[in-house]
Amino acid sequence: MTKGSKPLWGTSKDAYFRRTLKTEAGLGAAASERLFRRLRAEIVQVRLRDAASEVVGPPLEAATEPHAIDATAASAFDPYSPNVVVVVRTVGRERALEALSRIDRVEHLRLLAREQQLSIEAGIDSPADIRAAIVSAAERRIANRRAAAS
Amino acid sequence: MSEFVAIANRKGGVGKSTVAVMLAHAAAAWGGKRVLVVDLDTQCNASLMLIGGGGWDKARRAGKTIADYFYDRFDKTAEDESEYVVNNVGDIAHPRTSKGKVSLLPGSLMLEDVQGELFLMVAKKDLDADAVGVQVRGRMKRMVKHFGMDFDLVILDCPPGLSFAALAALDLASRVVVPFRPDFVSQFALDRVALLIERVEDADQLADIPFAKRRYACLPNYVRGGGREQLLLDQIALDHPLLTARLPLLDSVARAFDWDETRKSMDQKYTDALPHLRTLYDEVLGPRPKLARAG
Repeated sequence: MTKGSKPLWGTSKDAYFRRTLKTEAGLGAAASERLFRRLRAEIVQVRLRDAASEVVGPPLEAATEPHAIDATAASAFDPYSPNVVVVVRTVGRERALEALSRIDRVEHLRLLAREQQLSIEAGIDSPADIRAAIVSAAERRIANRRAAAS
Repeated sequence: MSEFVAIANRKGGVGKSTVAVMLAHAAAAWGGKRVLVVDLDTQCNASLMLIGGGGWDKARRAGKTIADYFYDRFDKTAEDESEYVVNNVGDIAHPRTSKGKVSLLPGSLMLEDVQGELFLMVAKKDLDADAVGVQVRGRMKRMVKHFGMDFDLVILDCPPGLSFAALAALDLASRVVVPFRPDFVSQFALDRVALLIERVEDADQLADIPFAKRRYACLPNYVRGGGREQLLLDQIALDHPLLTARLPLLDSVARAFDWDETRKSMDQKYTDALPHLRTLYDEVLGPRPKLARAG
């Protein structure tokens, strides 16, 4: 491991790209999203100097014009967070439901379920029911794996 | 004192042979070690990577493969194993001053049949199937262990599934690298191979063994770097030690499969996979490896 730097993978790497792109004042939301998707697809790992996060800093004013906020908010949803299986395993069902309660939109909850490969019934349409179904699917996953490991 | 490192996973197609060969090249070129790769997989991919199709065909026609070794020497007391080994294999150029070289005990398509024959041979003396299995496995383990006298490092490229040879290798290895593809199905395979390596019966017993005391570590291979993969790695990390190294899905790794008579440097062979191999080598075989050695 290189001294004075840390590797970023997966969601950490993606979050870093988003954070960095947001600081570019002249970059519109659409271009930022295109760049983000390209970087995410093409780059497996970045190695971040310890001081780099300070250099990136908070987003600049120009990146927060109203239409940019809307576009970014819509596209910035991370379907991999929280990692429902990990949360259920480490702190239990209630805390997983609590973590999911921060996600209000049905389409986001469905996207999270799809990306985390937690199958929920198509007929469920209230956010509370979808959250409960997601957590139940995570519990099933954990139980299946445990039963198979013997 | 030789060290035995197994590359194993009960699931196929996870890159075991590629990892075995990459580590062998790295240990010889960077560590100056005399390395033997024992190809226990009937697919013989490690052999093809190290001596090419022609070299492997020559070895099997001459009766100098792992299957021949087990069959010829199984009930002999005096073991002269060196004639089964092909020396100075691979296509990496080594510095003249280095003693680091890679040798190979070639694989065989017949290994599974030979194991069946050996089982029947022992069964004539003992009718208890479990006891016969233990005997065959134990004898294979001792036969492979014999190679430790001539090499600094013996890398055991295990077959998928459970054969006597695979179990003997897992028994013998002081450390085990478990390559896996970061997909949903792989979790089950990791759980199962971990039980075998740590010689426990279920997930609870496995959980009682701290990561630092485990003989194995898991290596994510064919990594693309998407959020779904990271999600899965986070889940796997709850139950199994993960290496920091990750081998991305790179053309350079796929091309490294091609054996070439022209010897080249590690840079030339592994190109953009080299930094990943360096991390893997440091973690598994470097002076301060992250992967625990069996007591």
